Amino acid sequence: MMVELRKRFHEELAALEAEVDEVGMEAAEAVRLAVDGLIRRDRGQLDQVIAGDDRIDEKYMDMERRIFDCLATQTPVASDLRLLSALTHINFHLERVGDQAVNISKIAEATANLPPQDTILVRLQEMADVVVRMLRTAIDAFSRRDLDLAWRLPVMDDPVDDLNRGMYRQVVALAADPAALEWGIQMNVVARALERVGDNAVDIGEQVAFLLTGEFQEFTDASHPDAPPPTT
Amino acid sequence: MSSLSAWFGPNQALRDINLLVEPESVTAIIGPSGCGKSTLVRCMNRMHEEIRGARVEGKVLFNGEDIYAPDVDPVEVRRRIGMVFQKPNPFPTMSILDNAVAGLKLLGGSNRAELAERGEQALRAAGLWDEVKDRLNEPGGRLSGGQQQRLCIARALAVEPEVLLMDEPASALDPASTLRIEELVEELKLKYTVVIVTHNMQQAARVADWTLFMLLGEVVEYGPTQKLFTAPSDSRTEDYVTGRFG
Repeated sequence: MMVELRKRFHEELAALEAEVDEVGMEAAEAVRLAVDGLIRRDRGQLDQVIAGDDRIDEKYMDMERRIFDCLATQTPVASDLRLLSALTHINFHLERVGDQAVNISKIAEATANLPPQDTILVRLQEMADVVVRMLRTAIDAFSRRDLDLAWRLPVMDDPVDDLNRGMYRQVVALAADPAALEWGIQMNVVARALERVGDNAVDIGEQVAFLLTGEFQEFTDASHPDAPPPTT
Repeated sequence: MSSLSAWFGPNQALRDINLLVEPESVTAIIGPSGCGKSTLVRCMNRMHEEIRGARVEGKVLFNGEDIYAPDVDPVEVRRRIGMVFQKPNPFPTMSILDNAVAGLKLLGGSNRAELAERGEQALRAAGLWDEVKDRLNEPGGRLSGGQQQRLCIARALAVEPEVLLMDEPASALDPASTLRIEELVEELKLKYTVVIVTHNMQQAARVADWTLFMLLGEVVEYGPTQKLFTAPSDSRTEDYVTGRFG
């Protein structure tokens, strides 16, 4: 006869997972609002993103404690252990994404009086659109246990890396005007932050793959960029 | 072990078991009550047939020879494949040293000096020597539960087996004595092949190199312990180790 023997533990795992999903959506929204606030120079919206990060941080700490308690008291094994390990990593990545949204918002506020340049803003908007979609895809792959969807993340990340690399030349082109250059240099930092968010989303995808297969693997390896993806 | 099946009267306890136990390693057998794990281990040294109405079919090869072949002496099998049981069962009034060499005496050993030496070796191998060396003539029944169990391990080791079967050897012991036995198992595998039946999954995870999961008299999954407890291949193993059924 099938009897669920660890009901409370499995309910806690389900609750933790639901919260990670929720924080994932919040962190993606924070990035979207930060870049939108930067482009529209909406100080109120940027302040909201900065204040909202406290909530993400609180949830991060709360989940860390609860995951640690589960490890200490429940001796998790097999898929339960893999889920707790994945939750730990995903939780960490989402907290970092929240911090990047704050960084972008602070830079946006600090550069609000400098002259913007439209093509750079279009580039940042494009990067933000992709990484926000990547974060949602990563969380979706996690909650649906969808390995194929997780594997789409490194492909989605390619244009983000290209856009980030192209920023530098656009910023250098502003060198004639010191105020524009100062703004451009800061926007290069924003592009870098968005590129990191893309990497965080890919890393979440790797955790989904680990959860589903039990194999640790990196989707991309900066030191071997041309390596073919492992077969799954 | 090939095509091994076992019965208690009309009831089949093991179904067509095929299994290769790795030498000089620890293999744990886990599974819910009544799955056949004790029966399997008792078939490995012909203890199963001691129960009235019990019978076995199939082969258990040990160093290439079938231990169930007609010309094989079960007593000799049990000397080479020793066993330790759930409840420590030393002879309570017999001295500690005599307990350690009780099996040797049954096999005909009578030289006092040699018995003392072999007793010391066995007590050392069982991690008990330092605790009892000054009171070897006290009755075995005076030792604590954990010490009694190590005395039984010493008794099994004194006859120089190659394999040690342990049927829930720590389930009647307190946590400290349990860890002591687990540490001992780590040392024993350097010299012996150990098969341990346990209903404590974490004990299997801690001590075993290989773990075998049984259900309803069949082997569901057998593989490296680390694999079985992190990413088992069979969904029934997954459900059992994560407590989704029992």
